Amino acid sequence: MTVAPARRGTGTRRPVPPPHTGRPSWRDRLGRLDTRFTPYLIVAPFFVVFGVFGLYPLLSTAWMSLHDWQLIDGAQAFVGLDNFRELLADRNFWNALGNTLSLFLLSTVPQLVAALGLAALLDRGLRGRAFWRAGVLLPNVISVAAVALVFAQLYGRDFGIVNHLLGLVGVDPVDWRAETWASHLAISSMVMWRWTGYNALIYLAAMQSVPKDMYESALLDGASRWRVFWSITVPGIRPTILFTVIVSTIGGMQLFVEPQLFDPGGTATGTGGTDRQFQTLVMYLYEKGFRLFDAGYSSAIAWVLFLLILVVALVNFTLTRRIASKG
Amino acid sequence: MSRTSVGRAATTIAIAVAATMTTACGGGGGDAGDGRVRLSVGVFSDFGYDRLLEEYQAAHPGVEVEQRKVKMEQHHTQLATQLAGGRGAADVVAIEEGNIAQFRQSKDRFVNLADYGAKDLASQWAPWKWNQGTTDDGDFVLGLGTDMGSLAICYRRDLFEAAGLPADRDAVGALWPTWADFQATADRFTAATPNVKFVDAAQNVYKAVLDQTEEGYFAKDDSYIADRNPKVADAFGLAASLGEKRQTSALTPFSQDWNVALKQASFATTTCPAWALALIKAGAGDEAAGKWDVATAPGGGGNWGGSFLAVPRQGGHPREAYELAKWLTAPEQQKRIFKETGNLPSEPAAYQDPEVTSTVNEYFNQAPVGRIFGDSAENLKPTYRGSKDSKVTPVFNNALNRVETGKQSTSDSLAQALREARDAVK
Repeated sequence: MTVAPARRGTGTRRPVPPPHTGRPSWRDRLGRLDTRFTPYLIVAPFFVVFGVFGLYPLLSTAWMSLHDWQLIDGAQAFVGLDNFRELLADRNFWNALGNTLSLFLLSTVPQLVAALGLAALLDRGLRGRAFWRAGVLLPNVISVAAVALVFAQLYGRDFGIVNHLLGLVGVDPVDWRAETWASHLAISSMVMWRWTGYNALIYLAAMQSVPKDMYESALLDGASRWRVFWSITVPGIRPTILFTVIVSTIGGMQLFVEPQLFDPGGTATGTGGTDRQFQTLVMYLYEKGFRLFDAGYSSAIAWVLFLLILVVALVNFTLTRRIASKG
Repeated sequence: MSRTSVGRAATTIAIAVAATMTTACGGGGGDAGDGRVRLSVGVFSDFGYDRLLEEYQAAHPGVEVEQRKVKMEQHHTQLATQLAGGRGAADVVAIEEGNIAQFRQSKDRFVNLADYGAKDLASQWAPWKWNQGTTDDGDFVLGLGTDMGSLAICYRRDLFEAAGLPADRDAVGALWPTWADFQATADRFTAATPNVKFVDAAQNVYKAVLDQTEEGYFAKDDSYIADRNPKVADAFGLAASLGEKRQTSALTPFSQDWNVALKQASFATTTCPAWALALIKAGAGDEAAGKWDVATAPGGGGNWGGSFLAVPRQGGHPREAYELAKWLTAPEQQKRIFKETGNLPSEPAAYQDPEVTSTVNEYFNQAPVGRIFGDSAENLKPTYRGSKDSKVTPVFNNALNRVETGKQSTSDSLAQALREARDAVK
């Protein structure tokens, strides 16, 4: 604004200099800087936040894992890979890993299959569509702590509703927390309750972008609904299925709140059952770091978990891509 | 257009950065703009401070006090991370007796209250209570004692009557001078009413028995002795035998299920330190008023729980914080807290005061709780808590639960517990 009148004041009629000759004006330079750097600036906040809350903890955890590090008193000594060596010989670690994988499979596989079926149903012309679609998301917006508390009561040993119903058909009461398989089923049901609707909505959104004429021609050709679903719908939403599998993998490997609150000891003394029968990796990490104050060891668990998630996510990615492309 | 977009992007970044910088959790201390000192007190469950803090502020116009209440299970973990991070802890923090040994290891993070003259107050407390709050042979005063948890047994009168046992509290106390008598009473009870459990959890009995010994998992020099201390095996054996005979409800004390079981009257007795009365009343509800009663515990008194007030070094006003802690733990205030919440004073001047000893608890069938808990406090021989006590305790509790739920035999379970405990202390 202040530049223009000054130019006019020179009194000469000069043509605007071509942009590539002579010294470009500061305004031109700014314009060029703008097109060049503004996109970076606009995405920068994400990376700043990621740097502070993602990268920094990641690196600092790596550093801590190489030390004998007490939660309150800080680093005691550099121990190299000792924490990792100890971890590989730690039977509680392998137990937690086994539980994590078991809970992951038990909750994710049925969950995604159910979500797919639910989405297919919602995709058909139902009365009150908006109601049903909002309804399936409800379990997901309820606080996980509340869900865990309610399920813990449902699965109560002495006065739980589930045992009461089982009793009606003559099944002996199950001690849902003491038995390994029972506790895994109970916790998986909690995870499924929370996430099935969420995944169903994602599938539903993807299904609506599958071209309708493909369905019509398939039905004209005499294909059954079942065939259409597996041959057109599922391949059509393949990228979305991949996405949900990856996200559920990450979530499943980090399972924490549901099983921790399922343990009556809660976060104070809960070790995932009295014999660690449903202790997941993150629960073990929490126990080591925040109850036993062994932050170095806890960091080592965190890093192993991180690497495991990478591996499992990659395996899932390859598997799912192959399965989904077969259709 | 170009300038505004650059400006907008810059603003966005500035806001994002500022937001990340300022969301660090609200730290303790700080001053109000008007020059008043602002203190925070971090407690768990109910310390009965609501009214006292208002009075303190009225009497000290220059001080503003904010109380933060957290669930007990989160309180100590939160405190540990705040101490580790060097910020966020309250100016005055409560530390429970089972956890104080652990924090004693990190005394550098706390103000030595002796620097402000705390040693002059020592004679206020029962000597063992004072000692628990100190370290370095008494030179470092970490915390000032609040309440204590001298032990009694709470029992349901109606269930005792149904089993043909006496219901009167003196007669009930006379049933079990020793823990072996307690076991014998359990057998009589189960024989008469097999469908009702005698006690809520084996781990409660175990803790009560073990807390009556001078040394439990750790010797007084803090060395780990659980695997060669016969007292540990004895206490475990006694509690486990109740579990093996299915005389326990196999509950986790104070859990959701424990509350449900209280409401359903599915167990007849529970160990009750003074502070547990309020929890039992809350769990059992109004319809059980007058049905619960309090009797003396087998084997004489014992201590379970009770807390201390400490001052983390990171706070900005150690002297003011100390003054507040000193006032809150003085006998006069402890007496008032007892009347309000039932938390038993840890100072003889308070628990021997006629006002306290004459207190009866209406809900517990007018039990003279002031006298029962006061007497129990007199006979109390506190057990030594090692610095890793809180790491070992859950291991043995889990082991007892495995016996109660029939997952493991007593000997296998104890062997596994000793192995796990060894790992936990190394």
